[in-house]
Amino acid sequence: MAPLSNDRKRALRPELDALVGTDGVLSDPDELLVYESDGLTLFRALADFVVFPRSAEQVAAVVKLANREDLPFVARGAGTGLSGGCLPAEGGIVLSLMRMNRVLEVDYDNQIAVVEPGLVNLHLSWRVGPQGYYYAPDPSSQQACTIGGNIANNSGGPHTLKYGVTTNHVLGLEVVMPDGEILWLGGKTRETPGYDVTGVFVGSEGTFGIATKIVVRILKKPQAVKTVLAVFDQVEHASAAVSEIIARGLVPAAIEMIDHLTIQAVEDAFGCGYPRDAAAALLIEVDGLAVGMDAQTERIVAACRERGARDTRVARDEAERQLLWKGRKSAFGAYGRVSPAYMVMDGVIPRTKLPYVLGRVNEIVAAYGLRVGNVFHAGDGNLHPNILYDPRKPGEEARVVQAGAEIMKLCADVGGSISGEHGIGLEKADFMPFIFSAADLGVMARLKRAFNPTNLCNPGKIFPTKKSCGEVAVGYRPHPIEAKGLAQRF
Amino acid sequence: MPSTLVEKLAAVVGPDHVATGVALSPYVIEGRTPEAAVFPGTVDDVRAVLGVAAALAVPVVPWGGGTAAGVGMPTTWSGLVLGLGRLNRILEHEPGDLTVTAEAGVTIAQLQAALGAKGQWLSLDPPDADRATVGGVIAANASGPRRHLYGTARDLLIGVSVVTAEGEVVRGGGKVVKNVAGYDLPKLYIGSYGTLGIVVEATFKLRPRPDDERFVPVMLSSVKDAGAALRSVMGSDLVPTVLELLDADAARALGVTAAAALVVGFDGLTEQIDWQATELARIAAAHGGRTGAALGGGATARLATAARDACPAAASVMRLSVLPTQVAETIEHGGAAAKARGLTSAWSAHAGVGVVTAVLAAPDVARATDIAAVLGEWRGVARAGGGFATLEWAPLAVKASVPVWDDLGAAGRVMQRIKAELDPNNLLNPGRFVGGM
Ligand SMILES: Cc1cc2nc3c(=O)[nH]c(=O)nc-3n(C[C@H](O)[C@H](O)[C@H](O)COP(=O)(O)OP(=O)(O)OC[C@H]3O[C@@H](n4cnc5c(N)ncnc54)[C@H](O)[C@@H]3O)c2cc1C
Repeated sequence: MAPLSNDRKRALRPELDALVGTDGVLSDPDELLVYESDGLTLFRALADFVVFPRSAEQVAAVVKLANREDLPFVARGAGTGLSGGCLPAEGGIVLSLMRMNRVLEVDYDNQIAVVEPGLVNLHLSWRVGPQGYYYAPDPSSQQACTIGGNIANNSGGPHTLKYGVTTNHVLGLEVVMPDGEILWLGGKTRETPGYDVTGVFVGSEGTFGIATKIVVRILKKPQAVKTVLAVFDQVEHASAAVSEIIARGLVPAAIEMIDHLTIQAVEDAFGCGYPRDAAAALLIEVDGLAVGMDAQTERIVAACRERGARDTRVARDEAERQLLWKGRKSAFGAYGRVSPAYMVMDGVIPRTKLPYVLGRVNEIVAAYGLRVGNVFHAGDGNLHPNILYDPRKPGEEARVVQAGAEIMKLCADVGGSISGEHGIGLEKADFMPFIFSAADLGVMARLKRAFNPTNLCNPGKIFPTKKSCGEVAVGYRPHPIEAKGLAQRF
Repeated sequence: MPSTLVEKLAAVVGPDHVATGVALSPYVIEGRTPEAAVFPGTVDDVRAVLGVAAALAVPVVPWGGGTAAGVGMPTTWSGLVLGLGRLNRILEHEPGDLTVTAEAGVTIAQLQAALGAKGQWLSLDPPDADRATVGGVIAANASGPRRHLYGTARDLLIGVSVVTAEGEVVRGGGKVVKNVAGYDLPKLYIGSYGTLGIVVEATFKLRPRPDDERFVPVMLSSVKDAGAALRSVMGSDLVPTVLELLDADAARALGVTAAAALVVGFDGLTEQIDWQATELARIAAAHGGRTGAALGGGATARLATAARDACPAAASVMRLSVLPTQVAETIEHGGAAAKARGLTSAWSAHAGVGVVTAVLAAPDVARATDIAAVLGEWRGVARAGGGFATLEWAPLAVKASVPVWDDLGAAGRVMQRIKAELDPNNLLNPGRFVGGM
C-alpha cells in the first residue's frame, strides 16, 4: 500500500465530508502532521485523511468507504500510546474518536457505566466521583488517554496490583467491525453466551475493529487510604521488601519503586521530599476499610524494616500523600531536566527476579555508555527502565534501541514478558518471537483473521515483520516504513 | 475402524491407558457410549492422540473430572473421550511470585491444598472441588460465591497451554501477572467447553490467604426485602467477598430459616470482619431483617449448591445472568411461573454479580410440557431485562424442546469464524456448544 495519488485524494475528500461533515476531515499534509506519531516519537507515518466521526454510524460509514477503496484505517484516541499503535499505515485513514467523548449512562445500583471511546479516562472518575464511585484502571496518563485507547492496549496503572487491569473492568463493547458492521460483544450482564469475544477484543491494539461504546464497571471509593514511603540504601533490599510484604499476606493497592537516579531528578525538579541519597524508595499504598488500616500499615512498615529499610514514613494527611505521589507521577517530566531525551521501556518479570534483573538492566545500559532511571510497578514486576540519551549525538539513539532490545530479551529469558501495559504496536513486533513460538503466533494470526480478514484495520502491528518467526532479532533494524523513507526516526 | 482407533491409541499411550467396552461406562453421556477413552500421561501424548483422531476423523471429547460433562448438547458423534486425569502435576509454585502453573488434570482441591501449605490460595471456588480439574474449570468457566469480589477464571488465568485440533502445542499469555504481549489467548479458551483446543497447562495468579473469614446470614421476610437489602449492601462501605441471595428452600438447605436470606461473606483481619458484621446487622435491621450466627464450615462449603441441595429430584437447572437489581424480581417471577404450573423450584444467586441458579423440581418426568413451559418462561424473564439464560443441566428430552444455550446475536458470526479458524474440521466436541460450535 502507498499513499493516495493527489487525484484520488481530491476525489475522496467530498465523500468523507458528506459522511462526517467538512469540519470533521483533515487532508492537508500540514494538518495531518499532528497525527503522524503517538507518544513514541521514534516512528512516524502520514495518513491520507484524519476524520472525526461523532457516532458509531459515522465510524461504520468511513470504515465501509475504506473497504471499498481498499484503504487501511486505524482508530486513534488521545495518541498517548507508547508503542506506535495508532500510527497510520502508509497512507490510509485515521479515525480520531475525540468527538465521541460522552458518558452515555451511569447505573450506580448496578455499578456500571456506558461510555463513548473518546472519553478521557479521568473524566469518568470525575463524573461518578460525587456519588462515591470511581473507575479503577489508572494509567499514569489518565488525564489525557481515552478509554477506547485503554481498551485497545489493556492499559494498567499503579493500582492494578489490587484492582486488575482494564480487561477486568470491561463487560461489553459496541464495535464497528473491520467490514463496517456494527455489533455488540458482551453486554451489561456478567455472563453472556458463547466465547469471550469481549475478552479477546480488549488488548487487540485496534486490530479487531473500533470500539464505539464501552460498558465498564465502576467501583465504590475505598473508605480509607494510607501511603507509606520506605527508603533503602540498596536496591536489592527494596526488591526483597516487595516479596516480604506479599509474603505477609497483604495485597496493597500499589507498590511502586523509584531508583536513585530518578529520585535525584524528581527532587531537582519538584522537591517532593524523597531523600536524595537513597538507592531506592518504595511507595506503598493500602486502601479499603478504615478499620484495620493501622494494623496493615504496621505490617508493611515491619516488612520493609526487616528487609533493611533505612527509614519509613507514613503520609500524615492527604497533602503529604499527594506530594509523595507527585514524586512518582512526575518522574517522566523530571527526566527531561537531566537529559535531552529518554526512551521508556516496558517489560515484566516474575517478582522474585527483581534484584537480578535490575542489576542486569544497569549493566546492559552502562555497556552501551548510557544512563538509565527506573520508576515502575514493582508489585506487579512491571519494569519501566527509562534510558536517557541525547538524540543530537550521532549513533546514540541506535544504541538506545539496541540496549532496549537486550532488556526485552532479558525479561523474556527470566520467564517474563516484553510488555506489561504499553502494547506491542510497531515498536516491539519483531520481539514477539522472544516469547512466542511460530505456533503461538499462528493461532493469534487465525484469531485476527476471524475479526479482520482483509487486514485493512490497523495493519502492520503486533506480528513480526520477518518471514521466519523462529529467528530472533536483537538490535535495531529499520521498520519497513522507515526503510522506504516514508517515516523517519529522530 | 474402532479396532484401528484403539490399536493406534494403544501404540501411543500403552494399552493400559485406553478404555473400551464396559470400562467406558463412566463416560456415557445421555446414553451415548464413546468408541474409546484414552488417558495420555504427557503433553506430547496428548498431541499424538489428537494426531490419531485427526487422521481418522474421529471427534474428541476432552474430559477433566467429568463434573460438567452433561452441560450442553451431546456431541453429534461421541467419538473419543480424552481423559486428562494423568496430567496431574503442579509444575511450578513460587510463593514470592504469587503464581502457580499446573497441568490440566490437577483437581481444584489438590491445588488449593498445595497452595494452602504455603499460605496462598487460588481465589476461585467452583463446586465439586474434589473432582473439578484445572482444565475443566477453565473450559466450563466454573466459579463460586467468592467471585463476587475475586472474579472468575478470566480475572485469574494469566497463561495457558493448549493442544490444538492439529496437535500443535500453543501457549497464550505467560507466567507473569501483568502482560499485554499479543492477543489475550487465555480468554479465548475460558468457557469454550473444549471446542477450540485442549487445555493442558494453566498459570494462575494467586492471593495470600486472609487471616480470617466469616459468612453471615441475614434473615429477611421476603425475596423483595432481600433484594432491597442487597442494594443497600452494594451501596455501602462494606467490601464483601460473597453476596448470595437465597429463597426459603435454598436457605433451609444451609440450615437458615427465613422467607429469604442473604449470605454475606467477609475476609481479612478479624477486626475488619467484626466491624463489617456490625454494619451488616444495621443494614439488615433497616430492611426488617436480622443477622444470624455465622455459618459453619459445612454450610459454607454447600453455599454454591444450596438451590440444588434443596431439590434432590431436580428436573432441570437453569443459570440466568441478569443485573444485580433484577435478581429479586427474577426469583419472584420465576418462582411464581413454576407454581402456576404446579411445580416447585428453588433459587439461589451470586446476587452481587447477577448470576442466578434456578432448580426446577418435578414429581415425575411425564410433566415434560409443563417443565418446558416453565423453563421457557424463565428464559423470557431474563431476556426481558436484557439478560441471558443457559440450561445448565436437564435430561435430553427437555433439551430437545428447550434450547440449552441462549441466542448469540450478531456476535455469533464472529464466534463461528473463530471456531472455523481454530478447529476447521470440527473435531473438538462437535455440536456441543452454542450455535452448534
Ligand atoms: C506520560 C505517559 C504515561 C503513561 N502511563 C501509562 C500507564 O501507567 N499505564 C499504561 O498502561 N499506559 C500508560 N501510557 C500509555 C498510554 O497512555 C496508554 O496506552 C493509553 O491507553 C493510550 O490511550 P490513547 O487514548 O492515547 O490511545 P492512542 O495512543 O490514541 O491509541 C492506542 C491504541 O488504541 C487503539 N484505539 C484507540 N481507540 C480505539 C477504539 N475506540 N477502538 C479500538 N482501538 C482503539 C489505537 O488504534 C492504538 O492501537 C502512558 C503514556 C504516557 C505518554
